[in-house]
Amino acid sequence: MATITPPRAPATTGRQLTGLTWRPLTRSRPTIASLDLAIPAGQRVLLAGASGSGKSTVLRAPPGRLGEESGEGTGLLSPPSRPGEAGLLLQNPSHALVAATVFRDVAFGPENAALPRTEIRERVAAALAAAQVGLNPQRGPLEVSGGQQQRIALAGSLALDPELLLLDEPTSMLDPETADLVRESILAAADGAGLVIAEHRLGPWLPHVDRLVVLGEQAQILADGAPGEVLREQRELLQEVGVLAAEEPNAVRPTGTGPVVASLRGVTVPARGLISPLDLEVRAGRLSVLTGPSGAGKTTVLRTLLDAGAPATGEVQRPDPARIAAVPQNPEHSFVATTVRAELSASPWAEDPVLAEELLERAGLTHLAGAHPHRLSGGEQRRLATAAALAQSPDLLVLDEPTVGLDARRRRDVQSLLADATGRGCAVLVATHDPELIAAAGDRFELPAPDPAGPPPAPRRRLPADALNPLTLCLIGILAAVGSFAVQTWQGGLLALLPTVVLAPLAVRTLRGGALRLAPILLSAAGLAWTTALLGDAPSLSHEAWLLGLKEAARITAFVAPGVLALGSVEATALGDALGQRLRLPARPVVASVTALVRVGHLGRQWEIITRTRIRRGLGSARSPRLLAGVTLALLVDTLRGAEQQALAMDARGFAGADHRTWAQPSTLGRADLLGALIAGGLLVWPLIAGMLAG
Amino acid sequence: MTRFRTVDLLVTVLIGAAFGVAYLGYGQLYTLIGPLTAAFKPAEGLLAGIWFLPAMLAGLVVRKPGAALLAGMIAAVLSMLLGSQWGWGTAISGLMQGGGVELAFLLTRYRHFTLPVAVLGGVLAALLEWAWEKLAYYQEMSWAFSGAMLACFLVSGALLCGVLGWAAARALVSTGAVDTLAAGREHARVAEV
Repeated sequence: MATITPPRAPATTGRQLTGLTWRPLTRSRPTIASLDLAIPAGQRVLLAGASGSGKSTVLRAPPGRLGEESGEGTGLLSPPSRPGEAGLLLQNPSHALVAATVFRDVAFGPENAALPRTEIRERVAAALAAAQVGLNPQRGPLEVSGGQQQRIALAGSLALDPELLLLDEPTSMLDPETADLVRESILAAADGAGLVIAEHRLGPWLPHVDRLVVLGEQAQILADGAPGEVLREQRELLQEVGVLAAEEPNAVRPTGTGPVVASLRGVTVPARGLISPLDLEVRAGRLSVLTGPSGAGKTTVLRTLLDAGAPATGEVQRPDPARIAAVPQNPEHSFVATTVRAELSASPWAEDPVLAEELLERAGLTHLAGAHPHRLSGGEQRRLATAAALAQSPDLLVLDEPTVGLDARRRRDVQSLLADATGRGCAVLVATHDPELIAAAGDRFELPAPDPAGPPPAPRRRLPADALNPLTLCLIGILAAVGSFAVQTWQGGLLALLPTVVLAPLAVRTLRGGALRLAPILLSAAGLAWTTALLGDAPSLSHEAWLLGLKEAARITAFVAPGVLALGSVEATALGDALGQRLRLPARPVVASVTALVRVGHLGRQWEIITRTRIRRGLGSARSPRLLAGVTLALLVDTLRGAEQQALAMDARGFAGADHRTWAQPSTLGRADLLGALIAGGLLVWPLIAGMLAG
Repeated sequence: MTRFRTVDLLVTVLIGAAFGVAYLGYGQLYTLIGPLTAAFKPAEGLLAGIWFLPAMLAGLVVRKPGAALLAGMIAAVLSMLLGSQWGWGTAISGLMQGGGVELAFLLTRYRHFTLPVAVLGGVLAALLEWAWEKLAYYQEMSWAFSGAMLACFLVSGALLCGVLGWAAARALVSTGAVDTLAAGREHARVAEV
């Protein structure tokens, strides 16, 4: 239910979970078994526990997000009466982002709560300030760094005045400095509200929380009390469940100085923000780390080292592609097989079955050899991807953030696999924020911090067509398409194109952009002319057949071109606003569709990463249908896993019941739209008139 | 049952958007059969089925009335906004393709999501899409060649949309990415028995 909320709800008595049991429909055992946990109003609770202890699931209980369509349980709470009463921040902040601009993103919750427009603006401004976002509100949230994204997500929660903030490892994907800043923002903004933080790295949060709760299997409470007390009295327990790192040093630091396997000398890639010349060399049998704050260009450095394609300046030395293996940040991006064992030998460069079997053992995956790679836990997936890379017996192994989001024990498992790799004489390069991994490395290459402001958004030249409501722009395209069916002769067809040629400058931003939009149309029209001349009723390729082809080319251009030019000024957000407010289409499907459309850039980047990952494994070229099918499936897996998290974040901001929401920006129809409608009408009838004039 | 939860809505529209992006990478497939289609245009229909995939996958995975149509429309509208050479014709294609697949599920009253139903959906989508393309793009093509094109469309709809889509939905379910959706829940129950 969408209701107008009072400015700030009075502090309630907190949240009480009593006898909470929960079994997802996809599991045979409950992930939470009779949990009793009372969280008094305003208390700050740190929730610790190994991966798989059910921390994330426990966080879903207070906002009533454990529902009967996804599982069964007892002691479940119902969703709060007020949207956003309990805010939720996720590990991957991009899952919380829903809109094309920072402003609309933060406005999402208040819109769902059906607040009036003036109040939405006030709340967005206040929330952006409280979360210390410090960005132009018109920036695209998916284009900024992870730390900034997490602050935008925080602002999105604050805009609904939460009494309780639930944080699911909110800083685990950030570098330590950024994580500190985001943590400070969260603590400052939470001011008075309760906090429940699920986290693997306890240290930084400990001084700021009132209570530490340690969860074991099935979310059983193993310890609960003041943080200092629990740490003092339960240290062994915490190490045992993998929450605290054991104190003995892990891997012996390799000291050998093998030959240089790969190197960069004086490399710059200015187009991707790598401006100062970089020198880097990776030696056989040695672990090297590449560090630097988010956005410093670690991924660019790895790409330059791994893939052909020369940098702007400098020299790259690397082994043959078959001797290089790379593990992407998301291990699922590399998976192609349906069993763990098959995954190890999926690359044509992994030729040694004995080695594969040995690696399976070393990675502790033997008992899972028949399992589906995508169904493994996060830590198991990392080990599998690393083992599969080592199965190629590479000279160079490159990993992107291999320990992000893992608990202490699973971080050590990954580390020991890497130590194993260097032991075999492999040169290992890791891009990482992980202090333990950095400490274990033989060489460290640090990238300087990037320009914090980033490149300014390119100004868009304003066009006359931009003044029109998206519905008017659609009308122009639709009526022009309908009108084009009146074209009967080639003379009439060419004349029918006249208004399109005259009006085109009103909708073309740059000459190059216009050409890029029109070229495919003209190519298709030429193709249609050829097909018609070849396969029409007239004798093939006769004079008559070609004139028929010319008519068809003119007709299809009149059909398509006005619409394509007008669509250049249509943005997904404004289109959604128009469909929701003007055409009164159901709000939730419209808003969800806009959310999907604004992720296109993000999806395109994932597509590229997945494709590159597979080409690096030697699985084919970008033209191979088999590779394309695999990439499509991997993109779907990645996207749909994200959809679950996104749905959670959107529902925490009141989307589930937002059938009658408000819209932060009006969808106006003005005088320009009257003119636009007249143009649309003209384009509808003109081909008919042109036909008469010509005929 | 018929109300879309937020996750159902998102999965539907994101399947559409993911395919809108994937299609940019599929352009290469048409260059593979380029020499064939230059001489014999109807052969292009042999790839038609891949355009119906978002509708088929959403229908098979989400299993709610309207999912197939919505996913097909999103993929088409996205292609259109990104500058497809067929402009508004693309939106109509989305309607025909999504509508064709949706029709097959409607005919079973959303009770069956089996391979034969998927093949039927691919065939219906092919039929509607062919009718639209005949009307809008290939008016002057002789009926003999149009008939050949229809045959290519139907084969492609049955195989690339029906069979491949059904296999892809199964592959997706086995990864666990759709466990919270209707298709995933059924899988989970089977796995537990």
